[in-house]
Amino acid sequence: MPLRKDLKSVLIIGSGPIVIGQACEFDYSGVQAVKALKEEGLRVILVNPNPATVMTTPGLADAIYMDPLETLYLEQIIRREKPGALLPTMGGQTALNLALDLDREGILARHGIEVIGAGIQSIRLAEDRGLFKELCQREGLDVPRSAVAGDMAGAERIKNEIGLPVIIRPSYTLGGKGGSIAATEEEFRLLMPRALRESPAGEALIEESLLGWKEFELEVMRDRGDNAVVICSIENIDPMGVHTGDSITVAPIQTLSDREYQPMRDQAIRILRAVGVDCGGSNVQFALNPATGRMVIIEMNPRVSRSSALASKATGFPIARCSAKLAVGYTLDEIINEITGKTASCFEPALDYCAVKMPRFELEKFPQGYGELSTQMKSVGESLALGRTFPEALNKAIRAAEMGAEGLEELPPSRLGDPDLALDTRHPLRIFALYGALKKQGRPGVPELSRRTGYDPWVLEELLRQIELEARLAPPGEGPAPLDRELILEAKRLGLSDSRLAALLGRPAGEIARFREEKGILSVYHFVDTCAGEFSARTPYFYSTYGEIDEGEPLGDQGALILGSGPNRIGQGLEFDTCCTLASLAFRRRGVKTILVNSNPETVSTDFNVSDRLYIEPVDLEHVRDIIRKEGVRKVVVQMGGQLPLNIARQLEEGGAEILGTGVSSIFDVEDRSLFSRLLKRLNLRQPDNRMAFDSGNLSALAEDLGYPILLRPSFVLGGRSMFVAYKPEDINTFLATGIKAGPGRPILVDRFLEDAFEYDLDAISDGENVYIGGIMEHIEAAGVHSGDSACVFPPYKCRPEIQEEMEQAAVLLARELGIRGFINIQFAVKDGRLYILEVNPRASRTIPFISKTSGVNLIDKVVQIWTNRNLEEQGLTQKGFGRGRCVVGWAVKEAVFSFDRFTGMDPVLGPEMKSTGEVIGIGGSFGEAFLKAQEAAGTRLPRSGKVCVSVNKYDRATILPTVKKLAALGFQIAATPGTAEFLFEKGVLADVVQKVGARHPHVADHLAGRRIDFLINTPLGRFAYQGDNRIRIEAIKNQIPYTTTTSAAEAAAEGIEYLIHGQPGAALLPDSTWESRD
Amino acid sequence: MQKRRLKNTTEMNGEKAFLLTEDGTVFPGRSFGAPAPRAEELENPEFRRTLIGENRAAGEVMFNTAMCGYYEALTDPSYTGQIITLTYPLAGNYGCREDWSETLTPARRPGRLVKSAGLVVRSLYDGWVPPGRITLSRFLAENGVPGLTEADTRALTLKIREEGMPRGLLLRPSRPGENLGEGEKALALDFLRAFPLMSGRSLAPSQAVGEAVDYPSQGGPRLVLVDCGLKENILRRLLESGCGVSVLPPGAGAAEILAHKPQGVFFSNGPGDPAALTGLIKTAADLLGRIPLFGVCLGHQILALAAGGRTEKMKFGHHGVNNPVREESTGRVYVTSQNHGFMTAAEGLPPDTRIWFRNANDKTVEGLRNPRLRFACIQFHPEAAPGPRDTYWIFQEFLSMAQEGKPSAGEACHAS
Repeated sequence: MPLRKDLKSVLIIGSGPIVIGQACEFDYSGVQAVKALKEEGLRVILVNPNPATVMTTPGLADAIYMDPLETLYLEQIIRREKPGALLPTMGGQTALNLALDLDREGILARHGIEVIGAGIQSIRLAEDRGLFKELCQREGLDVPRSAVAGDMAGAERIKNEIGLPVIIRPSYTLGGKGGSIAATEEEFRLLMPRALRESPAGEALIEESLLGWKEFELEVMRDRGDNAVVICSIENIDPMGVHTGDSITVAPIQTLSDREYQPMRDQAIRILRAVGVDCGGSNVQFALNPATGRMVIIEMNPRVSRSSALASKATGFPIARCSAKLAVGYTLDEIINEITGKTASCFEPALDYCAVKMPRFELEKFPQGYGELSTQMKSVGESLALGRTFPEALNKAIRAAEMGAEGLEELPPSRLGDPDLALDTRHPLRIFALYGALKKQGRPGVPELSRRTGYDPWVLEELLRQIELEARLAPPGEGPAPLDRELILEAKRLGLSDSRLAALLGRPAGEIARFREEKGILSVYHFVDTCAGEFSARTPYFYSTYGEIDEGEPLGDQGALILGSGPNRIGQGLEFDTCCTLASLAFRRRGVKTILVNSNPETVSTDFNVSDRLYIEPVDLEHVRDIIRKEGVRKVVVQMGGQLPLNIARQLEEGGAEILGTGVSSIFDVEDRSLFSRLLKRLNLRQPDNRMAFDSGNLSALAEDLGYPILLRPSFVLGGRSMFVAYKPEDINTFLATGIKAGPGRPILVDRFLEDAFEYDLDAISDGENVYIGGIMEHIEAAGVHSGDSACVFPPYKCRPEIQEEMEQAAVLLARELGIRGFINIQFAVKDGRLYILEVNPRASRTIPFISKTSGVNLIDKVVQIWTNRNLEEQGLTQKGFGRGRCVVGWAVKEAVFSFDRFTGMDPVLGPEMKSTGEVIGIGGSFGEAFLKAQEAAGTRLPRSGKVCVSVNKYDRATILPTVKKLAALGFQIAATPGTAEFLFEKGVLADVVQKVGARHPHVADHLAGRRIDFLINTPLGRFAYQGDNRIRIEAIKNQIPYTTTTSAAEAAAEGIEYLIHGQPGAALLPDSTWESRD
Repeated sequence: MQKRRLKNTTEMNGEKAFLLTEDGTVFPGRSFGAPAPRAEELENPEFRRTLIGENRAAGEVMFNTAMCGYYEALTDPSYTGQIITLTYPLAGNYGCREDWSETLTPARRPGRLVKSAGLVVRSLYDGWVPPGRITLSRFLAENGVPGLTEADTRALTLKIREEGMPRGLLLRPSRPGENLGEGEKALALDFLRAFPLMSGRSLAPSQAVGEAVDYPSQGGPRLVLVDCGLKENILRRLLESGCGVSVLPPGAGAAEILAHKPQGVFFSNGPGDPAALTGLIKTAADLLGRIPLFGVCLGHQILALAAGGRTEKMKFGHHGVNNPVREESTGRVYVTSQNHGFMTAAEGLPPDTRIWFRNANDKTVEGLRNPRLRFACIQFHPEAAPGPRDTYWIFQEFLSMAQEGKPSAGEACHAS
């Protein structure tokens, strides 16, 4: 069935900010959907308030709204754009929920909008656990057994039917609180009565425990002709109990025979049919009891997902693109497989490699959040690697995950903790503990270790392959072994890196590389072709392996290699993928072929259509060098992918690569602390007083010298990792207690901390001579909060023109001095009218997509033009060497979005270490509107009325006063903790006194828990000043009460609230008229 | 050094071994399963004849793109005379279990359980397997069939894709651990050039039952199943549908078949060149129009030939579990299990023959129907095993055709 002729325009909802569990996979799917529908001549309207995305790039969709994903805005957009249909399956759970809201509020019916991709009824069936279970049972499909008990007698009966262990969940508690597992009769008799008591309804659900069962996923597509195909099957290495997003996974399924797999496939298709998914993809999850062979369906998602993005990259089958085509009328057999260019899409991809996904955790950032993995996802990103053996793919995936491991190896106790504990719990680094244990125990340990971890023995045997090879490579007890060609080749075929081999053999990595070169042990590349070689591929999408055929002709010297940003992590996320993607497109527009290397399967950049050559490989020195050798390419782009590519720039240059744009030495000038200080001095620019401690013992003396508070951080860090503000000498000990040590090559940087300063971010581009200021953003949070975590506003709203000018002049000076050809990002602080330079980044910054979109100038494209020999004067961006952008959308506020709710008990206080996972934008005609919309987009509902609770440290009291007065004037009741209340009283504001935490009940946290507070202003002093304060903030998060932890944010919030009460927030179409016009 | 490595690798990787194809290309790897012949053994003409006769170690080299189901493939009689290359690199992960077999129990037919001549894989798994199963290597060893692991199966696959399926031989050098010497290679090539080409090879009779085997009806129609190298799951499907089935050897003529008073005759899958099976083609031609006839794979080709059609050798065939076929009358597309190196041409058939299915990729004929001549047959494998079971319904289609025919004498008896 061909394209539906009755559709003219389609509305696509994006997934909003990146949070744990919803990351850039939905940018990838959204971009695919937009492109797929536009190809069909449909008008595409897109709503997504995430400014970092590729999908919100002007010109991609026909109309782009970066507005909050709320029905209020959606209805306005619908009224204006009159779309014929809504495609809600591309934006994750957020989009599905919004579609349900739009339906519930009658907005879809009112405007005659059809939901395509998955109908409202299908979404309900899949989302409602009760309905889904009923449906499965009607279809004769097995689901976990469960029943609700109202008393102990009933509970006993149910328990006996199901059999221990069982999961007991009290009914109607918030967020599944109180769920527990009873493995024995004693535990059951202890836990069950408690659960009945905890439930307000006196009921509890008793559910069969699937802990330890094997977990599988199938990605299925079905069209309106009832054709159904399984695109990819995925096996979770971690058994049930670990969220699939946190599990190491491998595709295709490895340990099931055809007799076991086919019923699973049949059931997956049957459930799509039953739920009514008839024009799109779904993900179906199964659990299998390895002891009995019983298989149950756990859940299905009638939309594209993280797994479907993974499956698309692992197979070469673009699920989102095809889903979009199916949604507008096509059947699978009518869609050509883009990879072969001649076969139909109604087939099941055949892989001739295995694909391993490795989750990326932030163990260092959220140490308290990672005791044990659970069914709540905690990883922030993932890497994908393909290999011809399982260890090859696994080792590459581990390296690509950038977790500080050269593949499978023994981790020191400082990282792993007690290895026995790590084995027996769902520790995020469990596979490393398993490797260590297997190394000790050898093959006899397989059954016992498999039982303890729940990993299939197959996994353990595969790890043993590597362990046995390593024993042959470097026999224990013998001296350094000679390098043996066949053994090294075998090692490379199991994915051991040169560095790993070097460590094993006690030789420098360079020597291993040289040996390989001499002996011809070089990486070769295979096509990812969807068909295991049965048909020839025309899309050059590659992965590396060893000792086999090498496919694909080299591109040669005319192209450019763009280094991607690797897995999402805090501090390096989607925005860099957008830079890489837009850079590739910009090069190709100018006739330069591109090669992209990246390991992040969620991204747009790993879509094989984005570049001329795609390599799904770790972005590290060894793999990048290999690709350069293979392709014969010289030009390398390191400025787009964040910090990761910069780390290897120097070595690449030494190897003969031409780093495009700013020279490597300039990169080091700004990254090296002492060189940077000298540079600033030379240019007469100011920076906060600073020192370097090469010995931890010196810290106190240096601090006294500078004067408290001081900012401490290890050199060369990403995303402000391990940054710390010390207010007093004892704080230094707290900092050192985290295990950070200064050393001769690794100094700790000590800066005077500018308290209560205002911070600014400036993004500029330069061709070495001319400088164009893209924009200056003012941070709403005060200095000390990491720039990535701070809300910021473009243009600056409280900055004197002469200070702005001073910043621009500094940018020009720095860009010229450093010979910047490309991006420069500068962070400034202003205190007492004096401008300080905090940091300079000679690469695309996190805010480049934000500034590009709000200033209407695609800065990435402009930089690529510089690199293809068109200077800024020629581009018309500068006159007489200087130019500046302006905000073309009125006011734009960028707000950081956090995933604190994923980590119970996590203190959400902001500091110099970045913690946010994503960002949103608010666009408005006034600062208040923009701020309000940014808050709404971030999921924070500012109150219109009610009670504001103020609890600020004594330094903040004077600053907060006008804000409190404003809120009182807006009709809010004011409450405050005793000290603050007393101060407010003196200043003429009468506040209800609430007790501090730790004082008698009811105190602030009690009021928060009782939801008697609607807005919380709480500024802590120092990191551990008030133990009570973190309780307050945690309680606020739990009860979804908006809070601010800085006075400036409180002030901004008051403006937003004022707009909420007196203004009329509206949807804002993103202008694209200026985007490419200056080409 | 060398010695230590060899000792330690016997378990996983065995001795150095090779796949040699008829154009002289050598694919090195490591031996598993039964040891491949030593090059020097080829000097013995008797040994050469044995290899050919037993369809062991040498044969047409093909590739299969299924990612699971190696056991079913190895035991499928259609692979007689072929060396299977698995494109999926990891093989043996879940072991082998005899009740997955696609070969009728040895008591009922000649030969071994593993039907293919050899197996070529990239990365053999030789570790722990669940209770009741044995490792792939042991399974091959027990059946005397050699395997080769650590081979560049991607290169081999691309070669087959570009050049077609060559004759090939799995062998070990005369001196363990050495590369293949020029003399050894020449000897092996000499053998390969004399090895029968698949075109013209009649292999079905060797893979069929020697005498009739009867299964009583459980309420379904009575069928004669002409065994041309039958896959067990075809029989299982028919029996599960309650059919009465008489499995007859391929030599059974039309009269003998009709003597069983069947309501339909089913020609099974099987190995080799269909055009070489003149006896079977004649039998089918004799039955055309007289009784409903069904065929799967080789059976389909036999029926097409009997109806006046033509078969031809394909370059590398369809071997996998992901082939889409379109039902021409409905537009429905099914993902099917396929395994054939010969195909039926669309031309030359009686004009009232309808093309039932076509391959959605290369548009080749995947199924035929002729109501007047009362035959229906398909090129792919509705019985799956391995592969998707989405076309199980075709058995029901066959059975309802059989039931539309004259009621057989036996039907009344099934009332009880």
